[in-house]
Amino acid sequence: MHEVRWTRPVLIVLLIAAIALITLDFRDAGNSSAHGIGADVFGPVERTAGAVASPFESLFRAASGNQGAEISSLQKQNDQLRAELAQSQVSAGEQAQLTQLLHLTNTGHYQVVAATVIAAGGAYSDTVTINVGRRDGIATDETVLNGDGLVGTVTAVTSSTATVQLLTDAGSTVGVKLDGTGDIGALSGTGSTMAASRELRLTLFSSTATLSPGQTLVTFGSVGGRPYVAGVPVGEVTAVTSQPGALTQTALVKPFTDVSGLGVIGVVVSR
Amino acid sequence: MTAVRTIAQALAVPLALLLAVIAQLAVVNRVPLPGGTAPDLVLLVVTAVAVRAGPMAGLLAGFAGGLALDAAPPASHLAGEYALVFCLVGYACGRARNAIIHATGEQTMVASLTVMALGTAAGEAGKAALGRLVSDPDITGQAIKHVLPGAIVYDLLLCPFVFWLVSLVLRRPAPERAPRPEQTRIASAFRVASAGAAGAVPRLRLAGSTPSPVRAPLSREPKLRLASAHPSPLSGTYAAFSPAHAPVPGGRPVKVNFGHAGPGTPRQRQPASPGKGWLRADPPAGEAALKRTSPGKGWLRAQHRAVPPPRRTSPGKGWIRAQRPAAAAVPRTSPGKGWIRPAKPSAAALRRTSPGKGWIRAGHPAPALPRRTSPGKGWIRARRPTAAAVPRPALGKNWIRARKPMFALRRTPNGNGWLNAQRPGVVMVPRRTSPGKGWIRPAKPAPAPRLASPGKGWLRPAKPVPRPRRKSPGKGWLRPAKPAPRNWYGRSPSTRWVRHSHSPWRGRRRRLLSLVGGRR
Repeated sequence: MHEVRWTRPVLIVLLIAAIALITLDFRDAGNSSAHGIGADVFGPVERTAGAVASPFESLFRAASGNQGAEISSLQKQNDQLRAELAQSQVSAGEQAQLTQLLHLTNTGHYQVVAATVIAAGGAYSDTVTINVGRRDGIATDETVLNGDGLVGTVTAVTSSTATVQLLTDAGSTVGVKLDGTGDIGALSGTGSTMAASRELRLTLFSSTATLSPGQTLVTFGSVGGRPYVAGVPVGEVTAVTSQPGALTQTALVKPFTDVSGLGVIGVVVSR
Repeated sequence: MTAVRTIAQALAVPLALLLAVIAQLAVVNRVPLPGGTAPDLVLLVVTAVAVRAGPMAGLLAGFAGGLALDAAPPASHLAGEYALVFCLVGYACGRARNAIIHATGEQTMVASLTVMALGTAAGEAGKAALGRLVSDPDITGQAIKHVLPGAIVYDLLLCPFVFWLVSLVLRRPAPERAPRPEQTRIASAFRVASAGAAGAVPRLRLAGSTPSPVRAPLSREPKLRLASAHPSPLSGTYAAFSPAHAPVPGGRPVKVNFGHAGPGTPRQRQPASPGKGWLRADPPAGEAALKRTSPGKGWLRAQHRAVPPPRRTSPGKGWIRAQRPAAAAVPRTSPGKGWIRPAKPSAAALRRTSPGKGWIRAGHPAPALPRRTSPGKGWIRARRPTAAAVPRPALGKNWIRARKPMFALRRTPNGNGWLNAQRPGVVMVPRRTSPGKGWIRPAKPAPAPRLASPGKGWLRPAKPVPRPRRKSPGKGWLRPAKPAPRNWYGRSPSTRWVRHSHSPWRGRRRRLLSLVGGRR
């Protein structure tokens, strides 16, 4: 009786509230205060839960054979070294060109803040939450990498957590250049479109460049190192898919990082 | 206790949702499952809550859980999408569950799981559809084609497990039953036995027990009452059955006493007793006639009415009859038609000792029993039920004795058996170990409460309480919801409300009353 009388009004009110939330968030392009409040509420809980769940998760991963058990301190060190290596991989001349071209101001070593993934997004989106936030010096649009290569960029920050958009997300686009030839292009994520392989789609801006499987890609870099610093290895070309006569060349790229098994990652703090 | 439980249950649903959100984000989404997809724990919990607790709980849980998934950090979709979808799914699942309960009257596990599976599949599809609608860059047609089947399969695999967990949390408390004293149990068993038959049947009642709420009018019915023929030194045990302690019912009390005889005690029988072991109610034409027409041993006779009912109503052999049709129509030599017979005896027993048509029989005695031909002591006797003009005879006269082994009381004088009210520390339970044949069993789990033919000849008090059979296969596993209590705080609307409302119950009530011919 009581329930029957009140169910439908409550349903209508809640549906209107949900539609209003969607509308507000749509107007703010997904950055409304609802996300901020939710991050403030759920961030600490997720930190705790991630700390609790990480042994089980690494156990599962070890059991499934994706990765062995790795010591996190070693991995942090490895991240640091890899970041420096990524910087040094770019030849000096190219680096000078790039610096000149892009007016990069920070040519020094990147400072990396190590972090751990504590939560992950749903089946459609490739986003993760890491356990460092504003109080650790993290800001939005900072490059996230790990020992294998580029991971993604920070899209949202709370005081204790940050949300990373992985480079495989459908909304992610990274400016890259071919390691050998220096041809530049755009690398966009495919999301869940290719569920198993998680490959990226490369579009070269130059129509005359030659693409061949096995070529590696590094990040081209952005102004001020945001959202992507230059010289971070991204992946290698696995298949050239460009149609004959097309204006641009396209290829499929396999990222170096295994985004489904992220553990310890590093955030490149700019200064 | 109940309030604590209610509060705990009210808190348990948000807690379960929070746990589901955390587990979804921190564990399930991170673990690389084959297929590249993951189940949606929150959607599963929402549908399970809706199936268990109805549409209101379902839509509230759906909105809360969806909003949590929308706002918790790694979410990249628009806030409110999952809240909208889960709210609708929870409401729909609750409505489907209510419709199933309304149609079938119960909630089976299969139906619940089916509703839940359909709800989760619809929720996954709704998530994808709403993402397409708001042009989420992550949700493309290809992505849906890859993700949606796997997600639905994972959800379906997890459905029973989540449903079991939520059922554990939302399990309704069992209705608390006050422990009954043993005599009340027996009395209620007799009450059930007498209420189950038609109104014209003599009613069995234990003296000293509380009057039954289903009691028929006193004036036209004889009553069977259990009483001890003589108070004995064991009367502490028997006191509840003795007529001295029993309130004598008003009107024309017609009592049938279940007499008992102690093993060594002399019986106080009146010489005018119609025979050993007889149940007699009202002599049709006086005691002389009664003596002549004594039907034989071991039979029960009921009241003879002066007004003859039509003969058609005589149901035939083996049925319980309340009234004798006409005094003149019945030959004296046999009890004739119109006597109360509770049960048809078996063929062999009938051949041997059949007293004729129309006699009350307390039960068809088993042929293997030794005392079959002479019930003798301890038989049911009835008192004379006629008008107050007839003086009530003494104890011996017009009493009908029951069979001797009718009660266990005699057998257990030292109190290790039934109903030992006087000895503290002795548990008052009927001796289930060896009641033997021919005992009145207060709570025998008879397979079918067939009152008209109790089988091997005994006055069984009927199946004790027809409890609803438990459907659940094990402890705590997916129990169906218990039916709501039908009283003012239950689901059933009150008569007053129904009469002034437009609910479907109004039409049902009117139709039912027009069938019965009752007052609108």
